[in-house]
Amino acid sequence: MVQTRRDFLKRTAALSAASYLGMLLPFQDVDNALAADETAWHRGSCRLCGVGCRLELGVKNGLPVALRGVPQSRTNMGYLCMKGMHFWKLMNHPERLTTPLYRAKKSDKFKKISWDEAMDIAADKFAGAVKEHGNDSVAYYGSGQALTEETYLFQKIFRGGLQTNNVEGNPRLCMASAVGGYMTSFGADEPIGGYADIEKADCFFIIGSNMAEAHPVIFRRVMRRKLDNPQVTVINADPRISLTSRIADIHLQFNPGTDLALLNSMAYVIIEEKLHNQQFINDYVAFKKGKGDTIDFEEYKKSLADYTPEKAATIMGGKVTADQIREVARKFASSKGTLSMWTMGLNQRKQGVWANNLVHNLHILTGQLLKEGADSLSLTGQPNACGGVREGGGLCHILPGHRPVEKEAMRNQVEEAWGVPKGRIPALPGLHTMAMFSAVNEGKIKAMWINCTSPVQSLPNCNKYNTGLAKDDTFIVCTDIFPTLTTELAANLVLPTAFHFEKTGVYGCTERRSQITRKAIDPPKGAKPEVEIVRDWANLLAKKLNDPVISQCIKPFAGLEPEYALPKAIWEEYSQKLTKGTDCDLTGATYEVLEGMYDGVQWPAPTAEYAKTGGTVKKFVRGMDPMAETHKTDDKPYQFYGAAHPDHKLWIWARPQANPEEIPDGDYPFYLSTGRIIDHWHTMSMTGRIPELLRANPYSYIEVNPKDATRLGIKPGDMVEITSRRGTNIMPAKVYEGPIEGMVFAYWHDQHPDRMINKVTMDAIDPGSKEPEFKICACKIKKVSGPQALKPYIV
Amino acid sequence: MVIAGFVVQCQPQSQQDTVVALEALGQVEVFGADEKGNIVTVVDAESSADLEKIVKKMEGIEQVLNVGLTYLNVEDEAKKIASGDLSPNPFPRKKHWEKLN
Repeated sequence: MVQTRRDFLKRTAALSAASYLGMLLPFQDVDNALAADETAWHRGSCRLCGVGCRLELGVKNGLPVALRGVPQSRTNMGYLCMKGMHFWKLMNHPERLTTPLYRAKKSDKFKKISWDEAMDIAADKFAGAVKEHGNDSVAYYGSGQALTEETYLFQKIFRGGLQTNNVEGNPRLCMASAVGGYMTSFGADEPIGGYADIEKADCFFIIGSNMAEAHPVIFRRVMRRKLDNPQVTVINADPRISLTSRIADIHLQFNPGTDLALLNSMAYVIIEEKLHNQQFINDYVAFKKGKGDTIDFEEYKKSLADYTPEKAATIMGGKVTADQIREVARKFASSKGTLSMWTMGLNQRKQGVWANNLVHNLHILTGQLLKEGADSLSLTGQPNACGGVREGGGLCHILPGHRPVEKEAMRNQVEEAWGVPKGRIPALPGLHTMAMFSAVNEGKIKAMWINCTSPVQSLPNCNKYNTGLAKDDTFIVCTDIFPTLTTELAANLVLPTAFHFEKTGVYGCTERRSQITRKAIDPPKGAKPEVEIVRDWANLLAKKLNDPVISQCIKPFAGLEPEYALPKAIWEEYSQKLTKGTDCDLTGATYEVLEGMYDGVQWPAPTAEYAKTGGTVKKFVRGMDPMAETHKTDDKPYQFYGAAHPDHKLWIWARPQANPEEIPDGDYPFYLSTGRIIDHWHTMSMTGRIPELLRANPYSYIEVNPKDATRLGIKPGDMVEITSRRGTNIMPAKVYEGPIEGMVFAYWHDQHPDRMINKVTMDAIDPGSKEPEFKICACKIKKVSGPQALKPYIV
Repeated sequence: MVIAGFVVQCQPQSQQDTVVALEALGQVEVFGADEKGNIVTVVDAESSADLEKIVKKMEGIEQVLNVGLTYLNVEDEAKKIASGDLSPNPFPRKKHWEKLN
């Protein structure tokens, strides 16, 4: 019988799925046919969340024609989600930017210009700003979606070339509190363990995360673990019942911002019932309060006295019972391995660092750490927030390799690696994100480069900051693949860039794992990789500022072709010179090693031989982490070498319950929270241009608890006005037993001026991490009409 | 033609019912299942849009816990997009960006 192409593809699809289960199908011969197929497969990472799923893009005659998972990958074991399934459509999309666009004034229309003109304008404006207004009048605002090579090169030119630490990125809006939590609790950024703990855990504590929608492939692994092992307990703590809650054995629903009381109360129960691990505490733990004052166990215990389960249950709003708190504390402490996971529900808070500390406290108290199935694992939102921004020097206070800016010795190491004079990098951190955009408002930033992100939509209380971004006081360059609200409102110069798989580079995901994606297809004619753009711009800057040090910054990269040789040289400089000897040592993770891996390498990975094993699954454990040997201070099995804790201990913090910046009152009686939906990514500039994803959720809506809806006369689909002290939205109601009574919830992706929820959110920041409190503010709601026909909106 | 392979996950005890419900959707072919509730499924759809609708239906089956994509072939659609016969743009429009491009 003749096999049609359709039959062949169906059998291939079936074999692919069956291979994941070790299932044999009666037509294995398709493998031979597959080998003769003209499709070339290119391995890389998915771009649409922080999980780091590995996939292969099938390319035929220069077109992306197929996708398949990589079953050997330790991140996704081959599985992909529906959002990732559609990204190929962005590669030949008719709305891709393909020409530099320029306007002298932001009220003007853009006109097309050549790349030479564009580069000259960009260099002229930044050089002019530095000459007239000083080095700190320029700024870079990047992205957790940029490749590590891109973030690294941008920050090198800004710090080493333009002599400013005004280097920031959108991970400040999502991960900064996790960084603060890890640094203050464990002495070093990023998790001790990783996804490998999922298959070993007996208790999952999921707090402030809707992983079913935001990290669906990780959710799948948790669900598989639960299904295969019915004794496994899943605890979900969240003010909103989400798709994640459906696998929970226990769901704790509480008023937003009261979870610090929950976490302290769990610690109270653990100590009261003697479920803590005294030997672990004796060997490895110090107790702290305030800004780092040392206390002892008894004083810490005393700090928990106000958090009896009964008191905590009251603080939390009364829906959670004291017995439930006791039950989850016991399960947390006594399981064979407890794995906590969270995202923005803890991070995007005024008490974000404290919330992170309090989760870490529970793991340290109980010793639910450093062993199989136990970890305190912050899930990352973006594909390269960890790799590029946290490790690569993409925030105002950290240099590449987790080096604090304010330490002179650290600056000198970087200056030496770059071959620039000592003292070239300024001694003080630059402006953090919210301070940077406040400085734009004040006209203090004269030239700004925004790469691969849209702050006009993604900043909290965005009306306030968009006023400044729209002014002509700040010349703004945007590098992106599509028009965004930021290119439209704020940019003077728009430069079209290559997309994922159209260029080469490395992403580092949640679990300290760096993974390479090589160029597989050409970008649209006219679009360029960012590394080429930055190198060309820096060349011109050096001339206009007559500054040989800027030339020195790009000298190692002169003349290299931008598709592979240039990013490879940048990665080599970064990994070999700037991670060597640091806790994020990637010396062994060369391009050659990464290209040979199905997935990638978890740092520290100081040698190629070690990197080829996959790297370090558990930090700080002797026998599993090479740095635990080289940095050991005694014979104990765990060695905490993180630079932020000179005592080599884990720190348990006494942190009280503290209210959010804004809580409901008579004028604004509801809590507002925001989040993601499975079909969309961030500001929808990509997913909103894919018909299937747009149709699935064409516009945002406000989730209202049925009891509140009844009280306010709101029916499903009614148009509801949501107003805070900062702004107003109008969107349809979804009456849904999701948010707790007294709380409403909206997705933040919608670009429409009426439904852009960041007009309503709050820009109060955590004093430590400087991360804004997107997740909680006070608002009022009212029905303004019955259902109306709405149209989706993408700029 | 868009062809996709999935592992559909359900509670082991509801596997038979889930297989019946999947096959009842049409365009969905089940190639096997294991004792853990994993079902090897292939969807033969007219287009990406059609596939999306079918997947939403699969996800909507009460017993289905997860629909995990393992393989996707869109070669017909990719050719049509490249030749201009099909637009992946949900907004058929002429904006200033496009005029300038």
